[in-house]
Amino acid sequence: MNAPNVSGMLMLILPEVVLSVGAMITLLLGVSGADAGRSHRAAMAALATAVVGVVLAIGMLTGAPLAPGTTFIANDGFRWTLTALLCAGTGAAVVLTEAYDRRAGVARAETPALLLLAATGMTLLTAARDLMVVFLGIELMSLATYVLVAMHRTSARAAEAAVKYFLLGAFSTAFLLYGIALVYGATGSMQLEGIGSAVASGAKLPGLLMAGVALMLVGLAFKVAAAPFHLWTPDVYDGAPTAVTGFMAASVKAAAFAIFLRITAEAFAPLLADWHPVLWVLAAATMVIGNVLALGQQQIKRVLAYSSIAHAGYLLVAVVSFSAEGATALVFYLVAYTLATMGAFAVLVALSDGTDRPLVRQDLAGLRERHPWLALAFAVCVLSMLGFPLAGGVGFFAKWQVLQAALQASVPQQTLAIVLVLSSVVSGGYYLGLIAPAFMQSPVPAARPIPAPPTGVRAIAIACAVVVLVLGVLPSSLTRLAQRSAPSAFAGGPTVATTIQP
Amino acid sequence: MSDLSRYFFYLFSLLTIGSALAFVTRKGPVPAALWLVNTMFALSGLYVLLDAPFVGAVQVLVYAGAIMVVFVFVVMLLNLGRAGDRPDLRGIGGQLTAGVVGAALLALLLAARRGDAVLPALVPSSTSTSNVVEPVAQLLFTDYLLAFELTSIVLLTALVGAVVLAKRRTAA
Amino acid sequence: MIADSTTTVQQNALLAALIGLPALGAVANGALAVQTARTRTHAPDAPAPVGLASMLGVGSIAAAFIVAVLLFVQLTSGAGAVTAHFGDWLVFPTEAGRTPLIAWDFTFDRLSSVLALVITGVGTLIHVFSVGYMNDDPGFARYFAYLNLFVAFMLVLVLGASYPVLFIGWEGVGLCSYLLIGFWFGESANADAGRKAFVVNRIGDMGLIAAMCILFTQTGHLDFAGAHAGLSGMSTGLITAIGLALLLGCAGKSAQVPLYLWLPDAMAGPTPVSALIHAATMVTAGVYLVVRASPIFAASPTASLAVALIGAITALFAASIALRQWDIKKVLAYSTVSQLGYMFMGVGVGAYTAGVFHLVTHAFFKALLFLGAGAVIHAMHAAYHHAHEHGDAQDLRNMGGLRAAMPATGALMWIATLAIVGIPPLAGFFSKDEILVSVFARAMGSPLASASLMGLSGQVVLFVVLGFGTITALLTAIYMTRLALLAFEGPGRSSTSVQQGVHDAHGTLLWPLVALGILTVAGGWLNLPALIPIGPVGVLEHWLEPIVGETTRRLAPIAALPHEQELWITGGAVINAIFGIGIALWLWRRWAPVDAHHATPGTGFGGLLERAYDVDAAVQRGLVGPVLAFAKRVLWGTVDRGVDGALTGGGGGLARAAQWVSAQVQVGDASRYVWVVALGVLGTLAALAWRS
Repeated sequence: MNAPNVSGMLMLILPEVVLSVGAMITLLLGVSGADAGRSHRAAMAALATAVVGVVLAIGMLTGAPLAPGTTFIANDGFRWTLTALLCAGTGAAVVLTEAYDRRAGVARAETPALLLLAATGMTLLTAARDLMVVFLGIELMSLATYVLVAMHRTSARAAEAAVKYFLLGAFSTAFLLYGIALVYGATGSMQLEGIGSAVASGAKLPGLLMAGVALMLVGLAFKVAAAPFHLWTPDVYDGAPTAVTGFMAASVKAAAFAIFLRITAEAFAPLLADWHPVLWVLAAATMVIGNVLALGQQQIKRVLAYSSIAHAGYLLVAVVSFSAEGATALVFYLVAYTLATMGAFAVLVALSDGTDRPLVRQDLAGLRERHPWLALAFAVCVLSMLGFPLAGGVGFFAKWQVLQAALQASVPQQTLAIVLVLSSVVSGGYYLGLIAPAFMQSPVPAARPIPAPPTGVRAIAIACAVVVLVLGVLPSSLTRLAQRSAPSAFAGGPTVATTIQP
Repeated sequence: MSDLSRYFFYLFSLLTIGSALAFVTRKGPVPAALWLVNTMFALSGLYVLLDAPFVGAVQVLVYAGAIMVVFVFVVMLLNLGRAGDRPDLRGIGGQLTAGVVGAALLALLLAARRGDAVLPALVPSSTSTSNVVEPVAQLLFTDYLLAFELTSIVLLTALVGAVVLAKRRTAA
Repeated sequence: MIADSTTTVQQNALLAALIGLPALGAVANGALAVQTARTRTHAPDAPAPVGLASMLGVGSIAAAFIVAVLLFVQLTSGAGAVTAHFGDWLVFPTEAGRTPLIAWDFTFDRLSSVLALVITGVGTLIHVFSVGYMNDDPGFARYFAYLNLFVAFMLVLVLGASYPVLFIGWEGVGLCSYLLIGFWFGESANADAGRKAFVVNRIGDMGLIAAMCILFTQTGHLDFAGAHAGLSGMSTGLITAIGLALLLGCAGKSAQVPLYLWLPDAMAGPTPVSALIHAATMVTAGVYLVVRASPIFAASPTASLAVALIGAITALFAASIALRQWDIKKVLAYSTVSQLGYMFMGVGVGAYTAGVFHLVTHAFFKALLFLGAGAVIHAMHAAYHHAHEHGDAQDLRNMGGLRAAMPATGALMWIATLAIVGIPPLAGFFSKDEILVSVFARAMGSPLASASLMGLSGQVVLFVVLGFGTITALLTAIYMTRLALLAFEGPGRSSTSVQQGVHDAHGTLLWPLVALGILTVAGGWLNLPALIPIGPVGVLEHWLEPIVGETTRRLAPIAALPHEQELWITGGAVINAIFGIGIALWLWRRWAPVDAHHATPGTGFGGLLERAYDVDAAVQRGLVGPVLAFAKRVLWGTVDRGVDGALTGGGGGLARAAQWVSAQVQVGDASRYVWVVALGVLGTLAALAWRS
């Protein structure tokens, strides 16, 4: 039992320290000073905190070579790239929630604070290498998100969504926790590294281990909204305040995938042959269910909810590919997906009228005439989700990378690749259905006048679209970054994947 | 395992399972909650048998004590206490399905265990010491310091959430 | 793939600036246009931001021209070609390593430098002209945004170091052309013309895509160097297939038979657009591509003969139509098609330098002709407006005697006319002469003459090409003189008040014409033949030697043409041209056509020419009609409505099924979700439990 190396540890968790301290400052700003502008000052503080997080992560990424982390906290490219991405997503969410809440007349300082607390949990998930930390990270993220969904207390739909999310989330957490306990019982370790080596040297209790692995996979699959554990998603995404939905769809999902990949890579790698078929089925089912069911939706947020399920399926393909290429593809995809999702939701926030009335396609009608730049940004982001080449920018490459990873896995995943391509084709049906009214219909007079979108929201929408486009022309820089960001477990090449049996 | 330990093990196990069954079958919230308290107590007995008296004590203090009291308090405050006011939403079909699913879950867990070696017999700790808190504290404030501190942030989040959601509406 | 070792950071930056400046101008003007449109929703009569837009528009192109000159000077001082790598797009893993489908490689070599100078140089002049021409247009900023974007894409086209990058520029200029043809989309005819250009060009693009597919599958490379190096192992048949596919693409872009249909209609756009896009630059992209792909064409005499024959047919066909057109821009449009045919003849017989030479001189004198026509139209338009009369400002029958009112424009137009006709020492004479001499030399004996095309011996084909070229030259002399006569000489045919309202161009409408006039006179010195050594001989030929020297030699004549024969051809061409001018003078000097109001459609062969051989009507009846019917019944009726249905959820089996499923499962009842989750848990557990 060594004395903890506190300063070394603090360096490793600096983003979490910054984010949680920022959250407390934000809370304090919410109760100090003049009443007017409290929530705005709090939001600005939260935004600044998120920016510091981004800068910090990029600094670590570009600075001196990374020292090895500890058995609790990883210190690799994966951690810092995704931390930067998640902090950026949080910053965008701060701006979007503030604009949205202000329009609804319920802006308050707790929202940005909770966003930062959720971000603390999320960034932790990019680095966690101990199941205890993993669990706490997931809980921190989830707890904050439950509350964020319920923030609009006058909205019955939001309350319903929050209750559903909370109950089902607790249900799935129980499975995760049970799984963690069983894995600990079987391997005697809570640390991913320890579990991995215990498993590799032949577990004493393979049955207990398997049951634990199964239950942990269930818990994680719930968090990433993989079918059949996706049912909460449409209802919750639909009922939550639009800006919070964007945050959940982009960042929460990204964080869940980060820990999903790290756990499978570091702890469960020797068991690949066992869990591979399970995730294979989940990935295929998620892609098909997400894309097909999205076709039948009328409300934009429900369409995007199903679309996010479909994207979880694509990302699972990257996880299933289980190689350095797969990890690269995952990181690349998460960046592309976050950009497109945040951009699209920024446009939706700009279009909301401050009530909790669900947005339908007609609300997009004539967007080209009302807000030409926003219409273009929306089209680019949606085309990016579709994976359209050039006009859809980086989204095309994201799918491309996943496909490549699937086909180059030590056991090529042709079937999954085919499912991916076919279901992407299906997705054209609803994605184009979102763009079409914006460009081809004339505006419908709104029941309630919609105020001009705030500059911050517009800036986010347009910035996301521009970055999507630029990376779509020059994807190599992002590819290089993603290659550097594969978790250290994959650094030794595809040796871990040799255990896959056809 | 000594015979006495074995005797207590079966006693507490039966108590735990029986109370848990009673908990899920009671219609009234207050009786159900009280059965849950009973379950927690019996569990803490099992912890003590596992040579973890500290966890057993905490189990009683936190779950049986603090959490359940709040639970019962809320149930009574909101006047939900009377049984039979409302029919069981799940219906007989739902209860049966729940039973089947639960049994299937148990069966699968057992099936997964079928190849495993028999667990080694529990040996009472040879370094039995009266100070059981020290090793826990050692771990908690060295290796698991990070987790410990994180817990405080999780609690802060829960606190903020509770206050925000329960606070009386001021504006709008 | 790797940047040339001699390429410095500074050169990289210059190359990026060359493309980036017009692109930035486009973005800035686009933003300005959106801003104006938004202002107009409140104040419909808000003026266009003319000053700012023209500064941005002209400034960015002029700056690009300066950058091009800087790069060119470095190139002349002996530096190697500048090649810059700006990243990869879509990297394929292959046995040879990782091959990008598109490498963002741009190269400023001796060939692209010539094109880049023409594009930015002539482009700057036309931008300046546009400032005056479009002055009153409410869409001023939008116009410059499109025009700048066009220049950016055109530079991508000529600077791209691989087929896909060229293709992106190719599509980009097509898009800008479409936008600019339909610039005044308020009139449906203009929008239709834009659409026609779009559709016809797609047919050509398929050829280009097919060529790229074959190249990529056969060589594994799409950059020029790699793909052309991979040709050595390929069968001649395959190379011919690539060549013919490329020819289809080039014919679409450069308006060759049978894909020329869109160009005459493209005159619906503003006249400076016609000058820049549909005369000087974009339509010559096909010629550029043949030169760039000369290793392919040099390896396949059959494909080369096809290029030359298509060019000859087009040249003659379009020239004959131009004889009886009344719209001044239509005459010039058919003339452009005809001259493009000339360039195809040149590059088709492997005289790549001659093709590029004619491309450059044509850019000068045709831009001058179009801008001159623009000045005339602008003046006529203003005069009609002033006299409160309605008349077609583009119809030659309404003009006549304009030289008195517009002496400067008239003189410049006459110079350009003599240049295109081929009167020495104007630019057109040298370039056209070089093409005819090249064709003749190769017909006398060369790899081409001994090859065959569709059973015809190459020699026969080449003599046909030569014959067509000669007749075309005669026809060109006739119709161009006719145009100048009808517009500038003789009595005026419009009302007196209109005639008095016509004033000569000045300011930004005039001095670009003067500059182009100088170039038209002096352009021939770029590549003087050895026969007429009135300056340095063959400058362009020496300049392009590293690029096309080797491929030219592969198709070159077996023996050099004797001097007397060459003299004979050259002299014959001049006599031919003078003869044509004579015919035109004899036909139209004393004859004044009735003005447009009282004109009756021509009959007989003349009428057929007037209606451009009725090709449009035939295409409409035989092709467009059936396709539209098919589209309406099948595509609209089933596919589109199906998609539409899927979108609205009203129809479409999948969408309905999806709706039904989600209605069954997604009931919003959390306890039901719990059951599904529980089932999932059981499934997962079972899957793993059986494996332990």
